[in-house]
Amino acid sequence: MSIEGVEIHARDHEGFLEEVHSFEFWFQSVVGYLADHPYGVDPKGSIPDLSESDRNALIATLSTYCVGEVAALEGASGMIGFAPNRHSKIFLATQVVDEARHLEVMLHRLSELGVPDAEAEFEARANPNLLAFRDRLREFVEAKDWEASLFAQNVILESMEFAAFHLHMQTADARTAEMLAGVLKDERRHMGFGENDLGRHLERFPQARTRLREIKKELDALVLATFEDSQRALGTPASERGGIGRLYLESVARLGFDK
Amino acid sequence: MIDPLLEIDEFDSAKNEDSPEKLERRRPRTRYRLKDDTGFDEVPKKYRRFYRRWKGKGDSLAPNEVICPVCRVVIRSTRELRPGDRVYCMPCFSRLTVVRAESGRLEARVVY
Repeated sequence: MSIEGVEIHARDHEGFLEEVHSFEFWFQSVVGYLADHPYGVDPKGSIPDLSESDRNALIATLSTYCVGEVAALEGASGMIGFAPNRHSKIFLATQVVDEARHLEVMLHRLSELGVPDAEAEFEARANPNLLAFRDRLREFVEAKDWEASLFAQNVILESMEFAAFHLHMQTADARTAEMLAGVLKDERRHMGFGENDLGRHLERFPQARTRLREIKKELDALVLATFEDSQRALGTPASERGGIGRLYLESVARLGFDK
Repeated sequence: MIDPLLEIDEFDSAKNEDSPEKLERRRPRTRYRLKDDTGFDEVPKKYRRFYRRWKGKGDSLAPNEVICPVCRVVIRSTRELRPGDRVYCMPCFSRLTVVRAESGRLEARVVY
């Protein structure tokens, strides 16, 4: 084995944060998996035939995902106005673009499934628990409450979506799985930003944990129920559905909300 | 004369023992040439060789690899990793420290 010249892990933390929160980093990252993939899929791929029950379950689940994407699109765009620093503002601007793309690719997949006006219909088909979560997130953003917005959106919602999409990919048809794989790559950044930014914030203001614990109690049930219901509808075995919450629970444990 | 404040190790027989940990620390680290051949495409091209996806059952970690606990990507280094090393997970923006878990395996912990 010969010695490699550059070691990324040797760089200083400030320089690392400066780079990963930049628009340039985002652009060079997404080009790797979005180039030549209109609507997040290989244009040469075929549209699979689904049974009526599988199709209906997928339509209901994608409708719920659309509500989550709209919530994050509106949440992230609103948060730019009161984000505490340039890093966060630029990162959130890239997240807005990601969420807009997610909404677009999911609506496109719904139209492929034969939903005539997916945009007009997805909210009516979506899980009521997620609609309640979306309303609460809106309240935090309208109140310009950075801690609560960041926690609700980038820690709770994003880690749940990450786990749910990952699990769904295992059983989804090839076209849906490919679309979700691209979305999942974006979600890594969104939830990582949430945990790390909030983690640094809590190091400076540990007293904020008390209030966030109360918010967690309120929102946990809504999001867990949403994704549990979706996975049940998709036919995911009960033994595997428990995995959805695990990633989120590990994240909140690292942030010190489990004590 | 030896200054006991500066050369305390000289007087500490326990610290002079060649414990397995100390011997391991003294051993030169194995170096690795990383190639961009894992298909990982979530970070800019110049950094892709430092990461790969966990392949699930049957996969294993090399001595220069740890799993990011935040996003589950495998982080790779150009050198063999040891407890106390710092690594970065670029796909999820995390700074991590390598620790030896109770199982004896190397793990990464988030440092905010």
